[in-house]
Amino acid sequence: MAEEDDPKEYRWETGYEKTWEAIKEDDEGFLQASVADMVQRAKRKRQALKQGSQKLGMMRHLFLLLDCSESMSSQDLKPTRLICTLKLLEIFLEEFFDQNPISQIGIILMQNKRAEKISELAGNYRKHIKVLSHLNRTNLLGEPSLQNGLEMALSSLKLLPSHASREILVIMGSLTTCDPGDISNTIENLKLEGVRCSVIGLAAEVHVCRQLANQTNGIYNIILDDNHYKDLLFQQVDPPPAAVCLESSLIKMGFPHQLNNEGSDEPLTMCMCHVDSTEDGSKLTSGGYYCPQCFSKYCELPVECRACGLTLVSAPHLARSYHHLFPAANYIEVNFNNQTFVCFACQKLFGELDKQVYNCPNCKKYFCIDCDIFVHETLHTCPGCATNPLTFQIALTN
Amino acid sequence: MNNIVLPDETQTDSSSDDETSLVVVILDSNPGQKMLRDSPHVLTHCVDSIIAFANSHLMQKAQNKLAIMACHSKTSQFIYPGQGKHTDVRQVDGQYEVFTAVEKITKKNLAKVLTADSSTVTKESLLAGAIAMALCYISRLQRTKPPGATLNCRILVVTGSSCSASQYMNYMNVFFTAQKQNVVIDVCALDQHLSLLQQGCDITNGLYLKVPQLQGLLQYLLWVFLPEPPIREKLVLPPPLKVDYRAACFCHRQLIEIGYVCSVCLSIFCRFSPICTTCHTVFKMPALPAVKPKKKKKI
Ligand SMILES: [Zn+2]
Ligand SMILES: [Zn+2]
Ligand SMILES: [Zn+2]
Ligand SMILES: [Zn+2]
Ligand SMILES: [Zn+2]
Ligand SMILES: [Zn+2]
Repeated sequence: MAEEDDPKEYRWETGYEKTWEAIKEDDEGFLQASVADMVQRAKRKRQALKQGSQKLGMMRHLFLLLDCSESMSSQDLKPTRLICTLKLLEIFLEEFFDQNPISQIGIILMQNKRAEKISELAGNYRKHIKVLSHLNRTNLLGEPSLQNGLEMALSSLKLLPSHASREILVIMGSLTTCDPGDISNTIENLKLEGVRCSVIGLAAEVHVCRQLANQTNGIYNIILDDNHYKDLLFQQVDPPPAAVCLESSLIKMGFPHQLNNEGSDEPLTMCMCHVDSTEDGSKLTSGGYYCPQCFSKYCELPVECRACGLTLVSAPHLARSYHHLFPAANYIEVNFNNQTFVCFACQKLFGELDKQVYNCPNCKKYFCIDCDIFVHETLHTCPGCATNPLTFQIALTN
Repeated sequence: MNNIVLPDETQTDSSSDDETSLVVVILDSNPGQKMLRDSPHVLTHCVDSIIAFANSHLMQKAQNKLAIMACHSKTSQFIYPGQGKHTDVRQVDGQYEVFTAVEKITKKNLAKVLTADSSTVTKESLLAGAIAMALCYISRLQRTKPPGATLNCRILVVTGSSCSASQYMNYMNVFFTAQKQNVVIDVCALDQHLSLLQQGCDITNGLYLKVPQLQGLLQYLLWVFLPEPPIREKLVLPPPLKVDYRAACFCHRQLIEIGYVCSVCLSIFCRFSPICTTCHTVFKMPALPAVKPKKKKKI
């Protein structure tokens, strides 16, 4: 099971047939190197497409519609479709909230023609992961009803304020859906409410899923293998372009700070987040975050104040999202002819294997392909630009 | 058996459970920082302390790794091991010779940096950029390390400058990246309190220390920053300060408790304005403070 965690473990034979042909065409003899190379190139390509659309739906509200019908017991994913899905979702949820810290996710199961909401829209990923962890023993029954699932998600999403970005992500193992009515009406309603619906199919193309994604500006993909599955899930981590009907507004938020206890001990108090929980965690604590509006106490941020409704965040929570809006400029691929002898960032010496190097259009420094990917996927700050007084704020002005 | 065993260059990372520690020291050498404008000779003292610290780190374990960077006014660069091949340095074959090499290379390369640009003086040291470079360097070492080896990495920033909000975005990006990559950021403030870098220490589980007096710099480096993060829990170290994470509004850079956030770009403002100055979005009039969204039909 551990092999799914290893990013190098691509199952080329099953999924990437086309890539395989391309590898054979390579006449350099460095087979392994060229496979990695191709993965990197694919990453660069996707990165290049990302830039441009500036208006993004940052305050995301996403319902995960999870197929828990009989089809999920299939073993074409190891050990089963369901177990594999749950494992990937766990990583996905963590990454999602890392990149979308003030967004919310809810989870709905589709099983035996019914839909069941197992997790309300919320921003705490640990809660969702806990709910998911109980699912591996669930009985996989009957057929899913896509329409019931969508309707249930829609009824919650409808209630959100107009600046909230609304999304549904369907994970569909079944090739059929058992619906009580005409699903095209549901799709029409989703479209009207500006709900973007994406579908990840685990088996083969289903017409109604294609229709759903197309009509609502979502993405529809069928997985090739577990690595491709993870890839597709992670594409959902980036905030989508803002829907046309998405309203912009200024939202009032609270930035609580921990009270300074100068010498004296803070009194033990109950936090609002655990006040009605029956678990061990619900204890009296000193310290915590206080809502600046009503002084309710919370032990974790971000959270929506239960008493007065103010969204409570810390400034770094917001800052985690800024890179979506102010990305580092894409580097330009140029043929290597000794422009420099070392990668500006990681100090790798350029050698004969480096046919291409990557040039930042702003600071004009040269980078290796690994740094190009690291900078644009993870760091989001160009090391060349950020060390130069002329360019260190360039991401803000572009 | 001898008591002192000189480590041998060839015996590196043979066993799989061997843990190696890398420290990347970022020395703020920007002549524009207040401390150095007041008394430029302080830099020599800092460099000597850092070299002694670096050698103590290398002495702790034969496999330990070291890099030293200079964050200068116009750029940042690695001064140890130095850019590219250093063919002029004789192959070192014992640990003691490594120590002299650290001193020699560091001082030689730093001298180059210091003499290279003296024309313009910028007050602000671009430390976020230097940390970004260090993270790329660390990420390469992690990628290319032998399979099964563990490389624990930390970055130690030694600086006399002050933080400025103009690097806020870059700082946050490097802090979150370091957190993700399990890189600890330690900060040794020589002259002024650094609230942003203090947040970085808090986010990455590093230590923040403002040294009470510069004379004792080496002692502070050795006592506070030399122990590896897992060992630190057992030591009596300066108690962690509460970190102020309040937001500063984009309009006045004032710390606020309640503010307004643009739903498009997440800029923070201290009061309602009809247009976002960051992304130029025009807002509709303020919504009622009501929280529970009522069912509202669009026209
Ligand atoms: Zn609590
Ligand atoms: Zn409140
Ligand atoms: Zn590089
Ligand atoms: Zn650049
Ligand atoms: Zn303001
Ligand atoms: Zn804005």
